[in-house]
Amino acid sequence: MTPAIRPRRAARASRLPIFLLLAVLLPLLLMPLAAVFIFAGRGGLPAFQQALSNPDAQFAIRFSLLIALGTALVNGVLGTLAAYVLSKYRFRGREALTVIVNLPVAIPTVVVGTSLLLLWGPIGLLGRFLDPLGIQPMFAPLGVLLAHLFVTFPYMLGAVKPVLDELEVTYEEAAYTIGASRWQTFRYVILPALRGGLFSGTLLTFAHSLGEFGATVLVSGNLRLRTQTAPLFIFAQFEAGNIENANAVAAVLATLSFLLFFTLLRITRRERQEGA
Amino acid sequence: MHRFGRMEALRSLPAALLWLTAAAIVLYAAWPWLPWGRGKTVRTIVFYGFSILGEVMNEGVFPAFQAEWQARTGEHVEFVSSFAGSGTITNQLIMGVPADVALLSVEIDALRLVTAGLLPGPTWRDLPNAGVVNRTPFVILVRPGNPLGIRDYPDLTRPGIGIVHPDPLTSGGAQWAILGEYGSALRQTGSPDAAHDQLLGIWRNVVAQAASARGARTQFESGFGDVLITYEQEIISDQARGRLIGQIVYPRSTIFSEHTLVVIERNVDPQERDLIDAFVEFLWSPQAQRLFVEYGFRSIDPTNDGANPLFGTIADPFLVSDLGGWERVKVRIIDDIWRDRVLPEVNP
Repeated sequence: MTPAIRPRRAARASRLPIFLLLAVLLPLLLMPLAAVFIFAGRGGLPAFQQALSNPDAQFAIRFSLLIALGTALVNGVLGTLAAYVLSKYRFRGREALTVIVNLPVAIPTVVVGTSLLLLWGPIGLLGRFLDPLGIQPMFAPLGVLLAHLFVTFPYMLGAVKPVLDELEVTYEEAAYTIGASRWQTFRYVILPALRGGLFSGTLLTFAHSLGEFGATVLVSGNLRLRTQTAPLFIFAQFEAGNIENANAVAAVLATLSFLLFFTLLRITRRERQEGA
Repeated sequence: MHRFGRMEALRSLPAALLWLTAAAIVLYAAWPWLPWGRGKTVRTIVFYGFSILGEVMNEGVFPAFQAEWQARTGEHVEFVSSFAGSGTITNQLIMGVPADVALLSVEIDALRLVTAGLLPGPTWRDLPNAGVVNRTPFVILVRPGNPLGIRDYPDLTRPGIGIVHPDPLTSGGAQWAILGEYGSALRQTGSPDAAHDQLLGIWRNVVAQAASARGARTQFESGFGDVLITYEQEIISDQARGRLIGQIVYPRSTIFSEHTLVVIERNVDPQERDLIDAFVEFLWSPQAQRLFVEYGFRSIDPTNDGANPLFGTIADPFLVSDLGGWERVKVRIIDDIWRDRVLPEVNP
């Protein structure tokens, strides 16, 4: 009985669930993804390049990246603050607030879009007073950013708050006993422990913002070269019957999101190894 | 000690690569907005158009006007545009999108802008040709070889035919189609009952409703239904590009849609006044009208239409004014007959 045999047999026995999963995922996930790339490449590389070099497509991809970046930065800070407050402070209404900040996950994005329009739009509750001043957040990049901040708010929170909840209070107390201020404790004790959560939260927020459609289509006015994000470009091109153009940009988004999540996986794995 | 340091360096190499990639992506995204990436300042026209206008405007009319304006003033004009169903665009305009100019499929949408207070009155009627920029008849598209033997609107009432129709709630094309379906029977038979029956028969066969005429065509192209009722322009422009999947059927009698231009004065910057006026005027110029014909629209001046050999003939064409004008048909035909009588019978 050599020790080399047993693990191999065990490995063979454990293959079945893998095949089962692949068989299920093939029509559900893998084939649709493959279809995007097949249709994107149907006209050959020159057609793919031409579709991507279209100024509208270039603008849409760039605009989406910038909005996603802005969303990730703002929500990175706001989400961390929310996680810190909700985890470390005890106050009345804390639970209600926790529920509310997580709500965007469950609200249809279209509803988010309409509510933003009815608040900030030229005929909206607040927008009505801003309009005479010449301030128009909706149908402009700011409107798109507002929508994305709303829709992706819970992701940072979800990545950071569990880490904070589990963080031993003793470290913080130790920091206070040697005279560290609240800010110093946060900067030198809590923040380093949060690194993995911050990274994954920011990347998740970025990825969701990159793919956001439902709220964006309403608040952006879908103006090409001004507020048209990549998903809106894909939809418009698909509706117009330019399937190659739509799929070329879709392929870029799919590749980007694959890279993002691959990085995410590597980071979380490394953090776990370092933590162990 | 030395070994350890090398391992650290190796491990941080992917991290450095990662940051480099991230920085490259950010640089790429921000490039056009960076001080050295920015082009010279331009003047901008914000244009909203109904669904089928996308190609003719983006590829034909915008570049032609840009060239003309550049030649005349040396300035570069940038067009910022959005295309969707006429009703969708009208709703967006009412919500406050910053459009300078909008080309709507149906005049009734322009009237909605007046009701909403966006326009002080029917200002488009002061424009050339009462604001109508171009037109196109409503026709029937069938599968290649016409397997169901469809010749005219009455054939569409036969049971078992699947019709793809845009949604009148958001699509101007759908409202024109209803007028075509109803009005053709009214003209052929003279009987409102027969016209109602034809509309009902057709709507019993509607299997899919898309938000815009363009969306309906995409549905039909992806294999849905047997018949599509749509603008002739949609079919002609596909035919010209050699990508038409289907066969065009000209009804004996059908309606010519007329597309109305509105200038949203409230959104026009006083400094852009001359530019907007020049663009509006340009749309009725022989050059723009010929471009419309090239892309499959019928010109407001029928003598231009000879330039497109793909146009078919219609024995008995009619206009919305023959049915009493938009204000009247919206109430009498779209609301009273289609919405209140036909729809409840189709979906009891």
